[in-house]
Amino acid sequence: MSALDTTEPTRRSLSGRRVYFGDTLLQVVAGGAALAAAVLVGLIAYKLVQGAHLAISTFGLGFLTHNIWDPVHAHFAAGAFLYGTVITSVGALVLAVPLALGIALFLSELAPGWLRGPVSALVETLAAIPSVVIGFWGIVVLLPLMANHIEPALHSALGWIPIFGAPSTSGAGYFPAIIVLTIMITPIIASLSRELFLGVPRELKEAALGLGTTRWEMVRGVVLPYARGGVTAAVILGLGRALGEAIAVSQVIGATPYITKNLFSQGTTMGSKIAVQFLNATPPLEPSALIYLGLILLVFSLIVNLLAQLVVRRASRRLRG
Amino acid sequence: MPKNGMLIRSTLVLAAMAAVAVAALTAAGAASARQTSNVTVNGAGSTFVAPLVAKWVAPVSSQLHITLNYSAVGSGAGILAITNRTADFGASDAPLSPDQFTACKGCVQIPWALAGTAVDYRVDGASKTLRLTGSVLAKIYLGQITYWNDKAIKAVNSGVTIPHTKIAVFYRSDGSGTTYNFTDYLSAVSTQWKTNIGKGTAVNWPTGTGEAHSSGVIAAVKATNGGIGYTDVEYAIANHVSYAFLQNRAGRFVQPSRVSILAASKLDTTPNKSGALSIVDPPAKGTFSGAYPICTYTYVDVAIKSSNAVALKKLINWAILDTANKGQTYGPPILFVPIPSGVVSFDQQQIAKIHT
Amino acid sequence: MSSAEISVFARPNDRLRRRKLVGRGVELIAWFAAAMGVAVLGVLVGYVAERGASQLSLDLFIKSQAAAFSVTSASQGLANAFVGSLVLIGIATAMAVPVGILIAIYVSEFAPRSVKPVVNLVLDLVAGIPAIVVSIFIYGLIEVGHGQTGLAVSYAVAVIMLPFVARSTIEILALVPNSLREAALGLGAPRWRTTLGVVLPQTLGGILTGTVLAVARVSGETAPPLVLSYVVSQGVAWNPVHALQTVPLAIYELGESGTPSDTALAWAGAFVLIMFILVVSLSARWFAARSRRKLGGSR
Repeated sequence: MSALDTTEPTRRSLSGRRVYFGDTLLQVVAGGAALAAAVLVGLIAYKLVQGAHLAISTFGLGFLTHNIWDPVHAHFAAGAFLYGTVITSVGALVLAVPLALGIALFLSELAPGWLRGPVSALVETLAAIPSVVIGFWGIVVLLPLMANHIEPALHSALGWIPIFGAPSTSGAGYFPAIIVLTIMITPIIASLSRELFLGVPRELKEAALGLGTTRWEMVRGVVLPYARGGVTAAVILGLGRALGEAIAVSQVIGATPYITKNLFSQGTTMGSKIAVQFLNATPPLEPSALIYLGLILLVFSLIVNLLAQLVVRRASRRLRG
Repeated sequence: MPKNGMLIRSTLVLAAMAAVAVAALTAAGAASARQTSNVTVNGAGSTFVAPLVAKWVAPVSSQLHITLNYSAVGSGAGILAITNRTADFGASDAPLSPDQFTACKGCVQIPWALAGTAVDYRVDGASKTLRLTGSVLAKIYLGQITYWNDKAIKAVNSGVTIPHTKIAVFYRSDGSGTTYNFTDYLSAVSTQWKTNIGKGTAVNWPTGTGEAHSSGVIAAVKATNGGIGYTDVEYAIANHVSYAFLQNRAGRFVQPSRVSILAASKLDTTPNKSGALSIVDPPAKGTFSGAYPICTYTYVDVAIKSSNAVALKKLINWAILDTANKGQTYGPPILFVPIPSGVVSFDQQQIAKIHT
Repeated sequence: MSSAEISVFARPNDRLRRRKLVGRGVELIAWFAAAMGVAVLGVLVGYVAERGASQLSLDLFIKSQAAAFSVTSASQGLANAFVGSLVLIGIATAMAVPVGILIAIYVSEFAPRSVKPVVNLVLDLVAGIPAIVVSIFIYGLIEVGHGQTGLAVSYAVAVIMLPFVARSTIEILALVPNSLREAALGLGAPRWRTTLGVVLPQTLGGILTGTVLAVARVSGETAPPLVLSYVVSQGVAWNPVHALQTVPLAIYELGESGTPSDTALAWAGAFVLIMFILVVSLSARWFAARSRRKLGGSR
């Protein structure tokens, strides 16, 4: 492969190095692919705005604050769906974050060597289970359990707290949706956090232990602060996943747009509404309103992603300097 | 590339296996379906008419040499399917609106079956089949009556023990012709429903849980003590779910049956220009004293210019006739009443319009 | 950051005991959390295995879904869904992998330092877009006014797969030592030949792993077929221009129906899907670990 063998016309760049035609071609093609990815994001946003245009011009920003979905009179507003999305995602985070951090701590600090591999693999496996299977399991197993045992028990024991109001007769509602979302986002947060905890420099940990701290104090004082940025980013990514999940939620949430404190009540989220209604929408306004919902979801996911990036960048800057 | 040689080889082997698997499954599937000499007609839509269409598959294959593929995805999706020409025909219990006709760009609407929407329920411990009136039913679906032993329900069920069970309301979450029929009825019997909710394939339900397709509704009612829902009557019968007696305008309490559906069908025997008929909530006149108030025609929507026109015309011509083992004869056992001759002649004129 | 308060005036035993207790309590919580995680997985997979494995039969792979209300004596299977999924995901992979590799090549070999984080950001953004949003985007792009087509599902799945393939390839390319590149360049090879003929072959195993893992990940996506390939004909079909049935959508629909035979079929489908994902993921990781060991050993 000596330079004398090449037959392509050689040009010289400004620095004097040889520039081959193949190089330029590959750079253009590969760069084009990268550019295409960026264009894709813009195209998605553009198409959604275009599709939602009718609804946006009809309902404006009031779409986000009012609550009605009436195909007969062509009045649509996303209030209940926004509420449902926020409630289920936040609820899932409340349950998932302690669980995931506990698992991550276990896998990075506490587990005996022989247990680490298998349990890690099991957690990764949980992440690989498709949402439709979790949702299906939810329909057949979780909902009857909710309706017949869990919700009545919680209601009788803790019914004075508004979130444990009247149980749902069919079992469907916000509560099983929160459980399903928790099952889905815990593995993501757990495996990301585990990587972060394992990445804490050993010298720092051993220094703290050498000073006489207990293991938990070492974690609290060294590992958690060190990994704080990354863990926050992982939690934010888990939130993003929960916000966008449409299928499993639609299978267990009941499809009725209620705004209520009672977690046992039925509800809907933006994603599940789109999934259920998109092919049955009454033109011209309902499909546009559903795309408007999709646009809101897109904006949410982009903001969440950018936020996670920001957190990671600030955390790594802090660690470096 | 010796290092990756084994990996590349195993990938190739796996890819070859996958290709062989696809080929084998396709061949096996095709063989087991025996689709060798038949023409295929694809339809999609109403879950209401699905029991009847399912009964047509075998005779249509043997008599007409047509393989009938039907996806019961709901009337709303069926209308979308024919509008987008994704299927050869769309089936809907809700008549097409003028906007939908325009969007369909040259479609005909052909009423091809007739049946009743049952009010399915489950109340463990009720001593007899329950009776309901239109206004009580509307109040239940408005969320104003919440227990099965409410005064209003007990008033029409004298002598029947009804336990104190909460009512679990179910409705169709997808675009449904059955919903159209049901809400059409509720609008007729309740001014509050008519002004606030109205009728449609999907409405702004004040209360209840949404389930997809009639199969979802009947499953939910069956699984929930206190559940109430609405489906074509055959779903209730096939799944052994109770369905209520409804009070018609003549004051009698009727269940959907061949007799009561036939009586209701006499209300409107002439399709309008676009092919729609309305037989909901017949008046109190003598002829209708035994009529069930929530009956509906169900329609097949076809494009006038259709590549599969020959097979479609054969199919629909066969489906609407009530003689000699043709379509309508399969109806009565599952409570689909044969469509009257006036409607049949109208249909034949519509079918004649279809061409390739 | 001192959490160890060593005071000569405090009684070390009491304080130490309390600290140890707190520590032990937290450790218990962590053990409990891990046990919960394992338990949930066990419950999920256990249910699917128990109810699905019993449904395994030749019919499952040969017969197709029966239409609603058809004669129940005829058994049904998921052949149409298996074939549809294989075809559509195969096409999606054929689209996503080359583009993903090209993007990775650009980021790893050509991109100026200021552009690299931008492309990585774009990949992260694409990865974060919910599948349902991607699906309605493809619907608006391709299917509005036209019929349903299986190819639309492939496009949507390709978009979802792209960030996974690209990111894992970037990581693999980063593992190739720069000395290799410099040696080739030093011998006079053009950049493109170095990349395609020297660097890339080193990474084929890793790319394969990344692709296989991405395939396992997207084989369970339900949103694209739900929006884009919902009205399907009965029986096995393989032509991607028509709408094809897919396994996750079949599970979704069968799950909504209440008929016991439908529910049983859904469990069977879920079992096959999970087994496919698990076997594929685990073997990909095993291969990757093996080739990493080999690479490490020969250095």
